[in-house]
Amino acid sequence: MVVKVNNLVKRYGDLIALDHFNLQVNEGEIFGLLGPNGSGKTTAINCILALLKYDKGTIEVFGQAMAPDAYNIKREIGIIMQNVAVFNELTVQENINYFCGLYISDKKKRASLVEEAIEFVGLNDFRKFYPRKLSGGLLRRLNIACGIAHQPKLIIMDEPTVAVDPQSRNSILEGIQKLNRQGATVIYTSHYMEEVEQICTRIAIMDRGKIIATGTNDELKSMIKAGEKITAEIFGLDSLQIQNIKNLPHISSVEYDENMLVVKSERGKNNLAIVLDYFRVHNIPYGKIYCELPTLNDVFLEITGKQLRD
Amino acid sequence: MFLHIFTNRCKCLVRDKVLMFWTLMFPIVLASLFGLAFSNLSSEDKFSEINIAVVDNNEYQSNQAFQSALSAVTDAGQSSGEKGLFNVILSTHEQADELLKNNKIEGYILFDGGANLVIKESGINQTIIKTFLDDYAQIGSAITNIVRQNPTAFPSLMEDVMADKNYLKEVSPSNAEPNTTLNYYYALVAMACLFGSFWGVKEISAVQADLSPQGARVNLAPAHKLKIFGYSLCAAAVVHLFTIFILIAYLSLFLKVDFGRDLLYVLLACVVGSMMGVSMGALIGALIKKDEIVKIAVLVSVSMILSFLAGLMMVDMKYIVTHAIPVMAYINPANLITDAFYSLYYFDTYNRFFTNIGLLLGFTVVFYLIVYFVLRRQRYASL
Ligand SMILES: Nc1ncnc2c1ncn2[C@@H]1O[C@H](COP(=O)(O)OP(=O)(O)O)[C@@H](O)[C@H]1O
Ligand SMILES: [Mg+2]
Repeated sequence: MVVKVNNLVKRYGDLIALDHFNLQVNEGEIFGLLGPNGSGKTTAINCILALLKYDKGTIEVFGQAMAPDAYNIKREIGIIMQNVAVFNELTVQENINYFCGLYISDKKKRASLVEEAIEFVGLNDFRKFYPRKLSGGLLRRLNIACGIAHQPKLIIMDEPTVAVDPQSRNSILEGIQKLNRQGATVIYTSHYMEEVEQICTRIAIMDRGKIIATGTNDELKSMIKAGEKITAEIFGLDSLQIQNIKNLPHISSVEYDENMLVVKSERGKNNLAIVLDYFRVHNIPYGKIYCELPTLNDVFLEITGKQLRD
Repeated sequence: MFLHIFTNRCKCLVRDKVLMFWTLMFPIVLASLFGLAFSNLSSEDKFSEINIAVVDNNEYQSNQAFQSALSAVTDAGQSSGEKGLFNVILSTHEQADELLKNNKIEGYILFDGGANLVIKESGINQTIIKTFLDDYAQIGSAITNIVRQNPTAFPSLMEDVMADKNYLKEVSPSNAEPNTTLNYYYALVAMACLFGSFWGVKEISAVQADLSPQGARVNLAPAHKLKIFGYSLCAAAVVHLFTIFILIAYLSLFLKVDFGRDLLYVLLACVVGSMMGVSMGALIGALIKKDEIVKIAVLVSVSMILSFLAGLMMVDMKYIVTHAIPVMAYINPANLITDAFYSLYYFDTYNRFFTNIGLLLGFTVVFYLIVYFVLRRQRYASL
């Protein structure tokens, strides 16, 4: 177990930011912490890192109690914070070298680690640049390089892709997977479900300071009743046919508006095939048709009754 | 680790253009302006005696004590060649009024059931006369008691006591010429020392997780925050001291400001003054949870005000403040630094210099103790 958090409670005055928060992260995972803004992701991370005081609970990292002076644990952690944390007066290379130097004192080893990190985030052409001269995406990449240059075993990333252009975002996500393949355990927080779905091997969904569900992407989706959503473009469908479609097995709702048919199914096998069969048998011609599997948003919606993103 | 942090922090500080402007360029520009302004002053104006009149009436004639006190601070009372504080004219009341009206004298003393000062306008010279009278009244009552027991000791005692008092135009033994323009430059150096507080603020921000994301990163490193802060502080102290040395070099080489004979002590004053400035910033930085830029704006004004009170803009200020609120002389760090330089220049002994240095060091230690207790807390209640 790389990280184990038990019944963590953190209050800010009357506000309960973490409400008996539990978390277990295994070695080798890319663990996603997904929750809307204000759900307590950053607070949880800061507690795990022994930055914040908390009211109750225990935190273990690498099987040891985490504490501000647990330097042997801290040495193996790399952090990419939500806010870019680099010094404006140092160049890209100097920044990476400075933060790496807080972990690695051997100069030679450090130099090669810094090179690797620069290579890794693709800032080779910008190594002499000052942070102010970097675009948002490049700045985020520098922020990541500063956090991982010392090649930690556990990498914690708090929303590293906020305000990043799509190209940088993809390169960051790929980078995380690469780090994971190289052996690092990753904890990744985000309020973008697509990212979490894309790269995380296990996901915890968070709301109001609590974990409300944990599992792999598929496990989470199988927890809920909702199945795929089928959308088809059909002209002149009559109400009888709509009623018939509604009566097909596993169909939970049917809407027809401006020639678009939206069929929501419950979890079950071959839902799409059954609907398509019905169209064929009744000679209903259709234009575009597509089928969406349930998303983590559906999971969130079903458990909390609200959208993940408002 | 030390070298790594030290060199990188030095880079961060030296490349901070805004702070470099305030700590290095601004004092030099200001010093140059002073230089221009003072080069137009004729040097003769600077040490002239203050013309006063004393109304020669019965009460004055019968007041032996006052006559002795007065003669101690006039030409007649000085050893050969030295100038006194006052140039005294004995006159009738009407003559004194006339003299005052025509600006021939700064004020006159009229005995009418005690010593009264009559002036037309207030200024530094009038303050000096008033100070003299106040001191006389104070010391006079003490001496009256002594004299009751031993009347023969009276005139010489009075003369001794009054001559030992330090007025603006110092009468104590020294080889240096009293020079008030120097105080402007010394106050300027004091201001530059206090500007060291910016570096203190910056270093605190760089290690406190609740003040900057960079600080959060430092808190997560496998090293004690206090250690990292200590190393960073060394960088701040060195960079700031460097700016102070440049300023001192500029003042003494280009503006020919006299810092006295003991270079080593001047450097000591610089080191201590600079340390005091940096610690003041660290204190403010650690205690106040506001943006770095806000703190620096506050510190710019506080430093300027403290230096103003130490005589940065008008030299009289230093004496007015010292007289109005005597404790200010000891708690205003700018005054302590200014005074340290002045006593190096002026006095042949080091008592006063080391009193100033000691007080400055005391403040520095207290400030850092407070900073230590703030930084020692390892977890934050909120970020
Ligand atoms: N320093 C603080 N003081 C008071 N409340 C805070 C503080 N930091 C966070 N909170 C509150 O705690 C809750 C969780 O915040 P946070 O952990 O930042 O959420 P997330 O990272 O998921 O967006 C929010 O309601 C936020 O308003
Ligand atoms: Mg957050």
